[in-house]
Amino acid sequence: MARDRGIEVEGLVREFKKGPRAVDGINLRVEPGEIYGFLGPNGAGKSTTVLMLTTLLPPTSGIARVAGYNVATEGPEVRASIGAALQEAALDPFLTGREHLNLQAALHGIVRKERKKRGDELLERVGLEEAADRRVRGYSGGMKRRLDLALALVHRPQILFLDEPTTGLDPQSRSALWTEVGRLANEEEVTVFLTTQYLEEADVLADRVGIIDRGRIVAEGTPEELKAEIGRPSVEATPVNRSERDAVAKVFSRFGEEMSSRPDTVAVRLDSGAGGLADVVRALDGEGLKVSNLRLDEPSLDDVFLEKTGRSLEGEHDDDADEARA
Amino acid sequence: MSAATGGRPKAFGGFFSVAWAVAGRQVYKYFTNPAFLAPALFPLFFFVAFAGGLTSVGDVPGFDYAAGYIAFQFVWALLQAVAMGGAFTGFSIASDFENGFARRLMLAASDRRGIILGYTLASIVRVTVTGTLVTVLAILTGMPISGGYDLFGLIGLALLVNVAATLFGAGIAMLMRTGQAGPVIRTPIFLVLFLAPVFVPLNLLEGWIQTVARLNPFTTILDAARGFLAGAPTGVLPAYAIAFALVAVFALWALYGLRRAEKAGS
Repeated sequence: MARDRGIEVEGLVREFKKGPRAVDGINLRVEPGEIYGFLGPNGAGKSTTVLMLTTLLPPTSGIARVAGYNVATEGPEVRASIGAALQEAALDPFLTGREHLNLQAALHGIVRKERKKRGDELLERVGLEEAADRRVRGYSGGMKRRLDLALALVHRPQILFLDEPTTGLDPQSRSALWTEVGRLANEEEVTVFLTTQYLEEADVLADRVGIIDRGRIVAEGTPEELKAEIGRPSVEATPVNRSERDAVAKVFSRFGEEMSSRPDTVAVRLDSGAGGLADVVRALDGEGLKVSNLRLDEPSLDDVFLEKTGRSLEGEHDDDADEARA
Repeated sequence: MSAATGGRPKAFGGFFSVAWAVAGRQVYKYFTNPAFLAPALFPLFFFVAFAGGLTSVGDVPGFDYAAGYIAFQFVWALLQAVAMGGAFTGFSIASDFENGFARRLMLAASDRRGIILGYTLASIVRVTVTGTLVTVLAILTGMPISGGYDLFGLIGLALLVNVAATLFGAGIAMLMRTGQAGPVIRTPIFLVLFLAPVFVPLNLLEGWIQTVARLNPFTTILDAARGFLAGAPTGVLPAYAIAFALVAVFALWALYGLRRAEKAGS
């Protein structure tokens, strides 16, 4: 592995006083040019891991090397090699977007004549040319995120850390950010360490995914590998007549293990794979049972999460939303 | 070579790059946002209130300051302005930690000690403006300038007081990292400033306040500063020794605060 652009972590631990281990001995390896998706619910330890890898928080124990440098003992070298857009864009409401870029470039020691050129280039790339001279306090959430990304790229880092970069963004902004992150990795060979609680984001963007829960990595691999571990697809049907739900469930049970589903639907994990769908349809027809909706689902990363932790990540989202509303 | 890794910046932000960048941002904000100028009004108020309202104190038997009461009050108002300027810089640092901006600085700075120097440089610029305002007001209200080149001694002491107060405030701000650091920074500085011969010379104070003022190291600095303005320097070496010692101690204090902020995950 080209040590200068990857991430290696061994037994990384972070304990907080009077609290549980936020990160509990994780091991991971991110190859140069790879997009690594770090997936997990709120409080799983994603952000704490990022803080340690970006030298903003010292590890309690374990070793982490970023761009070949030890985060605990070679902080300045690590910081020279990385860019980071953390969960809440740390922006000064009194400065404009352009002034932020100038400040960031100055902090990195970029000479004055290069600063403007680099700033203009990045403002154009993230689509903020028109808003460049407006104070950031008037920016929307999406604009702040885009500026934050531009700031992280000012010094042309080899490794980019993005901590939940699309949380709170509208679908259009999210898609634009995905495109840019993909471009950075594919065209500019930037290694990307991306935390997210969105399954789709990890699925679409990441070359490999690590699933973290309660401070421990519970699964790791490409999205395809992880889904293949779960293996079989499932089929879900909604009986036209609610009173026929049990009859439909009885037919489904011939084809595999019944899965939990909404009260008005029946779902089964197909023993024979996707090819068993035709048999299911024929069996329902044979019994004279009508269904209004029949859907074949390939395993998702949420299924992986459910399998590894016994909980659904989608459910966690709902809980979070409920908590936020409360 | 890729666009990202190719053409890497010519230098990574070292100690002075970081310091200049941090100072530049602070100074820019100070001059472009009128709200940040408001604290400059406090020393003007103190000077007008004390020098204007208490001028007859200069006629009290035993008041032997040659440059007169306005000059006597000006020196305290100036030192108060520079010390509180340091405190206000501490508030800014605490605010940056509270709203998360400090994280950007910590992440981009190769040598994080440069952050402290940057805030300190900005504080000096800030109090230069405030000090100039107080001085202009004092001259307009009739303060004689009798110190000649000794005035540089007064300016030097004022700068050291500002740097010491800034470093003290920076240490508190980085230890607490919330806006609640404000009173913790302000209160000790206020006590030190007021438990000194503010309105009359030390020899005219009586009782416990005289004892406390005599023990207060700021009294030595204040007396020396007044001596510079009157053209009769006195106690210069002890005053400078105390000022440099305060700077050294509070520089270590600020570094301690920085290390604590790093450990806490700024």
